[in-house]
Amino acid sequence: MAQTPEQQTRYICNPDVVLREEDEDGGLLFNPDTSQVKVVNATGLFIWKQFGTASQLEAVAEEVLKNYEEVPLQEFRQDLDEFLQDMLQSGFIGSVEENENDAS
Amino acid sequence: MSAPTTGLTGMSSPRHVDIAVTGRCNLSCAYCFYADEMTSRTDLPTERWLAFFQDLGNLRVMTACLTGGEAFIRPDFFELVDGIIANHMRYSILSNGTLINEKTLAEFEKGKRRQRLDSIQISIDGSSAEVHDHSRPSSFERALRGLKLLNGAGLPLTVRVTINRFNYTDLESTARLLLEELDLPGFSTNEAYPCGATNRYQDEMLLNPLQRRQVMDTLLRLNERYQDRISASAGPLVLAQEECAIHDAQLRGEKEFPGRGRLTACGGVFEQIAILHDGTIVPCHVISGLHLGNILTDDLGEVWRSSPLMQALRQRREIPLDTIEPCQDCNFKGYCSGGCPGGALFLNGDFNTRNPMDCYRILTGAEPYAPAEMKNQL
Repeated sequence: MAQTPEQQTRYICNPDVVLREEDEDGGLLFNPDTSQVKVVNATGLFIWKQFGTASQLEAVAEEVLKNYEEVPLQEFRQDLDEFLQDMLQSGFIGSVEENENDAS
Repeated sequence: MSAPTTGLTGMSSPRHVDIAVTGRCNLSCAYCFYADEMTSRTDLPTERWLAFFQDLGNLRVMTACLTGGEAFIRPDFFELVDGIIANHMRYSILSNGTLINEKTLAEFEKGKRRQRLDSIQISIDGSSAEVHDHSRPSSFERALRGLKLLNGAGLPLTVRVTINRFNYTDLESTARLLLEELDLPGFSTNEAYPCGATNRYQDEMLLNPLQRRQVMDTLLRLNERYQDRISASAGPLVLAQEECAIHDAQLRGEKEFPGRGRLTACGGVFEQIAILHDGTIVPCHVISGLHLGNILTDDLGEVWRSSPLMQALRQRREIPLDTIEPCQDCNFKGYCSGGCPGGALFLNGDFNTRNPMDCYRILTGAEPYAPAEMKNQL
């Protein structure tokens, strides 16, 4: 089945955001341009790292489910969508423009 | 927010670093805590600082405070700022304000220098040249000019008033100048500490307990008048606010505050570290005599994690006030954190003691004893 434009979108971490892995329970993300800090748990940290390279949301979801088999599927997809929306709105993650894709 | 710490070892790296980028200064202030370091060390060159800022970026340090000496005396100052920005940090500046001019303001508009700037703190120690210049020679007009330029440009300006014997009776006028005439949102306070240049002028500079009490009362009164626009993270205002909280707790029958009753002050060693202008690593610029290493020869991350002195300062908070002789029968011990380890070190020769400057028993006159260094001031 063909992907919708939204599904085709690739997302990537803002390269200015600092990740501090404080301990095995997670870490914090710091955006030096805005001073904003987000605390992430171990799963959030794993998701964040998946966006270290430009990735589609579906690919990230698959990767998370491979590594966190005990996660309830429906709840997880909602959490992942909310996580991404929050990160997009606060500038911690951005979407990659298609022409940027072509260039890279 | 979950506690992102790993027990007494603290975080895996500091979140914040204070950096004295120069030991040179165009003033010679009577209470300068950095005066001894300024004469005995030399500045690192630009390239070395920039390489160090890369190390800070790799350690995921979030913020840096650039100070001195007088930070703006370095011709490469904004090159250093850009090095901080390039390594994903925000920054703040401590300055005497006298070298700030229109060119300085223009420099802040380049790149992300304004966006990444948390604050520029200017020291103003009185309402007039007569008072201010007593501790900060021939600088009042120039400092005020710098302050006004920064304020006019909408940069995130803060003002620090360091209270000492020259200015403690001038606080009302100082508040009027800063909060009414200049209409600043607020200012912060601390008091002169018994280190650096102050050691040479202790009898003239340091507040004695009676003067400290007077300052505490004055600051509380001024804060009522100015709706809490005066702030502090240490010194007489904090003492006054905590004393009020203790009084309220006693009325409620509470005998202690959570996390108190031990030498828990200060928490800085769990989050931050400081660098002198020759690269010497110290826990804090105020206690610059405790050398942990040097960035020219030592790995900052390793020093942060493993330095025995840093560990000892972190373990200080495990020491109950019950085990410290002057605190054992103190009615305030359940509310007390023992005060700044720097003050304890300067006045008692041991940071694992209470700081007499922060002692409620001495402040309330309940303790006749005072350390030898303070006796002549009582």
